[in-house]
Amino acid sequence: MTAVAAKPAAGGAMNPTAMAVGVVLLIVILGICWKVSPGLGLMALIGMVVGGVLIGFGTHFVPVGGAPAAMGQAPGIATGVAMLAAGAGLAGLFGGAWAAELGPVVAVVTGAVGGGLMMAITCMMVNFIYVFGMGIPAASGKVANDPITGDSQKEFKSQGTEGHGLPFVSFVGGVIGGILAGGGGTLIYLMILDVYKATLPTMMKATEAQIMPIAISAAGIFAVGMFLVNAVLTAYNITGTIEGPHDPKFKRWPRAIVASAVASALCGLAAILIVVM
Amino acid sequence: MESIVFGIGITALTGALATVAGAAEDTESNIGSQGDPNSQVQLAPQMGYLHRIFNKAIAGEPPAYGLWCALGAGLAWAFMAMQINAVLAIVLGCVLAVFVQGVYATTAYLGRTASLKKFGQPVFVDILKSMTTVTMAHAFVAIFCTVTLCYLMNAALGHPFPLPLLGLLWGIALGAAGSAVGNPYYGKERQYQNQKFGAGVPIAQSGNIVRYAEAGERNSLDNGFFTAKLGGPASGVCFGLIVFLELWRTIIFEKIGAGWGAIIVGVLMILVFTIIDRYIEVWARKTYGPYPAPVKEASS
Repeated sequence: MTAVAAKPAAGGAMNPTAMAVGVVLLIVILGICWKVSPGLGLMALIGMVVGGVLIGFGTHFVPVGGAPAAMGQAPGIATGVAMLAAGAGLAGLFGGAWAAELGPVVAVVTGAVGGGLMMAITCMMVNFIYVFGMGIPAASGKVANDPITGDSQKEFKSQGTEGHGLPFVSFVGGVIGGILAGGGGTLIYLMILDVYKATLPTMMKATEAQIMPIAISAAGIFAVGMFLVNAVLTAYNITGTIEGPHDPKFKRWPRAIVASAVASALCGLAAILIVVM
Repeated sequence: MESIVFGIGITALTGALATVAGAAEDTESNIGSQGDPNSQVQLAPQMGYLHRIFNKAIAGEPPAYGLWCALGAGLAWAFMAMQINAVLAIVLGCVLAVFVQGVYATTAYLGRTASLKKFGQPVFVDILKSMTTVTMAHAFVAIFCTVTLCYLMNAALGHPFPLPLLGLLWGIALGAAGSAVGNPYYGKERQYQNQKFGAGVPIAQSGNIVRYAEAGERNSLDNGFFTAKLGGPASGVCFGLIVFLELWRTIIFEKIGAGWGAIIVGVLMILVFTIIDRYIEVWARKTYGPYPAPVKEASS
């Protein structure tokens, strides 16, 4: 079959075979980890998978309009999906890493709130510039009424566009996305840090205090890398722009969850193998 | 108590640095058309609109600034390890990072514009010479401010991440904030100044960017001059608020309730920004009102 003869693939269609292959891959990777590091390593890898899934799921909430949003042709924030999610999630990771010594729960929640705060400020400033800088009200192109406020959208959409700015539901979606991404990134960081703190002193024949700078740096770099992997995977799933949780593309999230879980497991396994092998 | 006062002082300083960094970053990216509006600059010659706008976008602002800030911070960190004074080390690191930015801008402009040869778009050497240096100057301000605030977070506030990693994190966040807030103002308000104010650009008008200034052809310095009045400062306020409030809630409230104080204050701040956002949205709907229905042309 040629590309011309092929039927156009439905963007939101689920492929059960691919999903099943993904699940099998995930089990295989977890099995390898159980074999090489059954206790701490396996628990850390499961934590990393959960963190990666949170990032992948959270990125679907972030309203991203890309280039059309920069011209007021489509609602959302005028930048890339992965870029914005990374900005929010890494701001969260910054706070979460700082609070790591206060315990995992506090650190993850701190990271989540940091990501949410970054997105709240950014979304507010986006509407500020649209309304006060360009005289354009917010309007969604995907729904007739805002699902949260009930505000009608159609009459506030300028002619020849799909909407513009950030309607309230998109703002809320952005904050939720920042919270999930910030929390997920921090969880990945904490899991890798735990493994490195436990293994590096023996491996390098040094005290825990001596290896801490290396452990923190390496865990931070791996967390940033895994963050970008998950955010970019989700960007491929979204294909371009998304308005937030009310956008039909949001329903594609199960695909991204499986992909994020497999990718996080593979990256996490690499992060673990460099210290346990 | 002294440590808290010291922390508040450093927090205020980092907030101010972040504000300057955000404003410089957005102006730099607008002069270089690095944000999403670059698509229109690239599209215009294909639609028959040849122009003298600089276009150096081969990566989004967040990864580009992540690279430059990480590079500046990494080099500064290496210089400090060589016992060079911190201020000098940061300046030297940022200067070297800006040279990389200059190389990037040059190759990006030449590559992107050369790809438009079949549409008749020339490569203007005078544009390359005059715009690249201006973007480098703005990039230096943005990178220097970001690396300095990262240094303060690490050395003065005791954040565990090493300086290069902080440079990467805050460089990406800087690019994300700057592109989110600054891009619409550059894209809609400046590139499409010939369209109606108070409405989005109709999709059919894509590529029809403004190419002429008051005298002669418009270039990217005119665009930087325009966006520096609102888009740049707004981006600066956005990034400044992010950095300042993130540090402020941690420095003051983290000691309360074993970390939960900072979390509660963070949640409250999110709620405050939610209320402000909703107020702006409702204000716009009430003040501007709905758009009039399109007038149908009478059939002859």
